[in-house]
Amino acid sequence: MKSATPLPLVLARTLTKIFLRDRQAIFFSLFFPIIFMVVFGFVGNQDQEPISLGIVNNAPGDLSRDFIQLLEGNPLFVVTEGEEQTLREALIAGDTTMVLILPEELQQTDNSVELGLLVDAAQVQELGLIMPVLEQSLLAVERQLRSTEPLFTLAVEDVQARSQRYLDFLIPGLLAFTLMQVSIAGSGFNIVEYRRKGILKRLFVTPLKPSDFIAGIVMSRISLCILQIAVLLGIAVAFLDVTILGSYLQLFAVIFLGAIIFLCIGFLLGSLAKTQQSIQAIGNLVIFPQIFLSGIFYPIESLPGFIQPVAAILPLSFVANALREIANNGASLVQIPLDMLGIGVWMVISFIAATRYFIWKEVAA
Amino acid sequence: MSIIEIRNLVKRYPRPDNKTETFNAVDDISLQIPAGTIYGILGPNGAGKTTTLEMLEGLTDIDGGEAYIDGVCVNTHPYEIKKIIGVQLQANEYFDNLSLRELITLFGALYGRSSDPVELLGRVHLTEKAEARPANLSGGQKQRFSIACALVNDPKVLFLDEPTTGLDPQAKRNLWSLVQELNGTGMTIVLTTHNMEEAETLCERIAIMDHGRLIAENTPRQLILQHAPEPPQAPLHGSLEDVFLVLTGHGLRE
Repeated sequence: MKSATPLPLVLARTLTKIFLRDRQAIFFSLFFPIIFMVVFGFVGNQDQEPISLGIVNNAPGDLSRDFIQLLEGNPLFVVTEGEEQTLREALIAGDTTMVLILPEELQQTDNSVELGLLVDAAQVQELGLIMPVLEQSLLAVERQLRSTEPLFTLAVEDVQARSQRYLDFLIPGLLAFTLMQVSIAGSGFNIVEYRRKGILKRLFVTPLKPSDFIAGIVMSRISLCILQIAVLLGIAVAFLDVTILGSYLQLFAVIFLGAIIFLCIGFLLGSLAKTQQSIQAIGNLVIFPQIFLSGIFYPIESLPGFIQPVAAILPLSFVANALREIANNGASLVQIPLDMLGIGVWMVISFIAATRYFIWKEVAA
Repeated sequence: MSIIEIRNLVKRYPRPDNKTETFNAVDDISLQIPAGTIYGILGPNGAGKTTTLEMLEGLTDIDGGEAYIDGVCVNTHPYEIKKIIGVQLQANEYFDNLSLRELITLFGALYGRSSDPVELLGRVHLTEKAEARPANLSGGQKQRFSIACALVNDPKVLFLDEPTTGLDPQAKRNLWSLVQELNGTGMTIVLTTHNMEEAETLCERIAIMDHGRLIAENTPRQLILQHAPEPPQAPLHGSLEDVFLVLTGHGLRE
C-alpha cells in the first residue's frame, strides 16, 4: 500500500515533532536572544538619557548660534559650551561623550569648513549612531542659511522624526543572529549527532534518498526557524515597543532565504566535521567572526577600515542589513538590490558546497 | 536454492599504520546462503563479519567480486536491494522524543508503505510498549524493537549484527525464539555472533571467518565432527566453541 504524503513532508513533520517535544532545546533557542532583547530594551530606555556634547565655539556669530540652538533642540544631546581645554579634560574624565569644535572660519560662509570632533575611543560605537544626527543638524543649518529648496527639507524631517533607539538598531541584527544560530545548529549539529548515534547509518539501509532526507530537514528547520523568529519579534513588538516600518511579509521572505543559506552551511559543516568536538570548533570558526563583523551589535562602519570590505560580504552581513533596512527604514526588497544580490550569491555558493560534500556513504559512516 | 550468492567478495581499507598501503578486511569470500535458513557468520573481532554484512546491505562499497540477493545484483542495484532486506545494526539508537509506534510509522514511510505499528510490535512482543520511548526500553526490548523496525518492509532477508551481545540469559533466549518464529514464516536470517551456543542452537549453517578470510563453512554438526579436538575438551561431547578455538587460535583479539 502506498502512503499518500510525499516522504520529505512526512520527514519534515516528524523532525518538527521531535524538536517541539524537546523543551530544553526550545528554551535555549529562545533564551539568549530574549535576554539580549530585554537587557538592551532597558539600556535602550535609559538611553533616552541624552549624549552630553561639549561645544567649543571659536566663531561667535549668528551662524554658530543657530547651529548650537539646533543641537540643543535635539533631544539626543545635552549641549555644554566651554573652553577647549576644560572640555577636553571633561572628555577624558568621561563627563562628556564628545566635543565639537567650531573653527573661526565658520564665520565665512562662502567656503566649506571643517568641524573638529573629539571623541573618547571607548565610546566609538556610539559614533555610528550619532554621526548621522550631527550631519543632519549641519545640513539643516546650511539649508537655513542658503534657504534652499523645500523638497529637501521634507526628506530630512522624515528622517529626524524617528529617533532611533539602540534597541531598534539591535532587533533586526538579533533576528539575523538567531536565524544563523538555529539554522546551523538545526542542520550541521544535528547531522553530527545523528551520525554519532548511528541513526544516519540506519536510515541509509532503507531506500531513503539523500535528497528526500535533506529536503525533510530543510522544510522542518525553516518552519521552526520562522516560528522562533516570529516569537522573538512578537515579544519585541508587544513588550519593547519596537516598530517594524517595512512589510512583515518581505521581512520573513529575507528570513526564509537567510535560513536556506545557513542550513546549507550547516550541512556543509556537518559533512566535513566527523565528531561533536570538531563541529563545535568548525562551527565557532564560522559563527563567531560573523557575530562580531556582520553588524549585529554595532554598525559595520564602526569597524576598522581594513576589515570593513571583508565584513560587508559575509552572508550574515547581507541578511542583517536587509532585515535592518526593512525594519528600520521601511525599505522594500527592490530598494535593497545589493543585499538581495549578496543573499542570492551566498545561496548558490552554500547550496553547491552543501550538496557537493553531503555524500550518504561518507556522511553516514 | 540459495537466496544470497557471494562471489570472491573483497573489501580494502588503508592500513592503520601506513595509509599508503591497503589490507583486505574481507578477502575473497564466496558463500551461498540457502533460502529460508538461519545462517550464522562467526569470527573473532576484526575478522570482517560486519564489513561483509555492510557490503551486502549496500552500506559499504564492494571493492572486488560480486553479490546477489534474490537474484538482484548488490553491486549495481543497491536501492533495489534495500527494498527487499531488513537490517538490524550493532548500534541501535533512534531519534529522541518519538514513541515506538511513531518510529515504526516513520520507518514504514521510508519504504513508501503505511505499516501497522501495533501488529509489528505485537510480532516482537512489545505491544504494551507502543507509546514508550526507545531510551526507556531494556536491552532485550531494544533489540526486539530494532527487529520490528527491520520488518516494516516484509523483507526476504533479515540481517542481524550481534543481536544478543550484552543481553542477559532470559532476554537472549527470548530473542532466539523470536528469530525462530520469524524463520518459521519462511524468512531467511543472516546473523553474526560471538556466542557459540547461539550459533549451535539457531543456525542451520555456519561460516567461520578470520583475518578477512572464510576458513570453514558447514552445518554446526559437521563442523564439530570435522574440527573438534580428540578427545574433546568438554568431557561428553565436542562443542562448537572448541571448533572455533581450534580454527582461530587462542590469541586475544582487540
